[in-house]
Amino acid sequence: MSGREQPPRPVIKNQIRRLRFNHGEMTQQVLAEKVGVTRQTIIALEGEKYLPSLELAFRLAMAFGVRIDDVFQYQAESEVP
Amino acid sequence: MTSLQKFAWYNLGIISLTGLAVAIGYLIVGSPALGFLGFLGFLGFGPLFFVKRGGKVIFDERDRLIQFRASTIAYSIFWVIFVMVCVFGTITIYGENGAVPVTVVRLSVFWALMLVYLVQSIAILVQYARDGRGDA
Repeated sequence: MSGREQPPRPVIKNQIRRLRFNHGEMTQQVLAEKVGVTRQTIIALEGEKYLPSLELAFRLAMAFGVRIDDVFQYQAESEVP
Repeated sequence: MTSLQKFAWYNLGIISLTGLAVAIGYLIVGSPALGFLGFLGFLGFGPLFFVKRGGKVIFDERDRLIQFRASTIAYSIFWVIFVMVCVFGTITIYGENGAVPVTVVRLSVFWALMLVYLVQSIAILVQYARDGRGDA
């Protein structure tokens, strides 16, 4: 009988820092004001220390004028190299 | 620093000041030093940190999550300590047929308030410190 197997933990990466620099070197403060959060939240997002709500994820994508999956990428742990 | 961090530092300051004042005062003048517990009234000014100023974001979803986690931790710890004191502390100090003085019951409200705010403030600051590295 196999042991209890846990489903692979998902890893969610984001491209917020790269997109910010690609949009005229937008500062964290400007992006924070655009999406309605504090600068510290943007720092935590870029450091992948915080997962945003769905609404915030959509607001970030709209702020950059891209699709949501251009901002956030989901990988199951087994797919992480 | 976010408004929630300032709120946590403020509360920590008030609790520390109160604890120090009561401890030092008690050594000097005895039980009248318990009047210093009145400093806890300044905790009521904490919500002023969340007054909106010029359309700036004061409190966002991440702050809400951090505060919720901190409150949960604080009330959980308070509950465990409360049960331990009620079940073991009282019988140890006052014996099986003893009576808990009214003064002790009244003061326990203040100690509980201090404990909850202390743990909540520390939990808030630890969460920000853990997530806040990489400031750019």
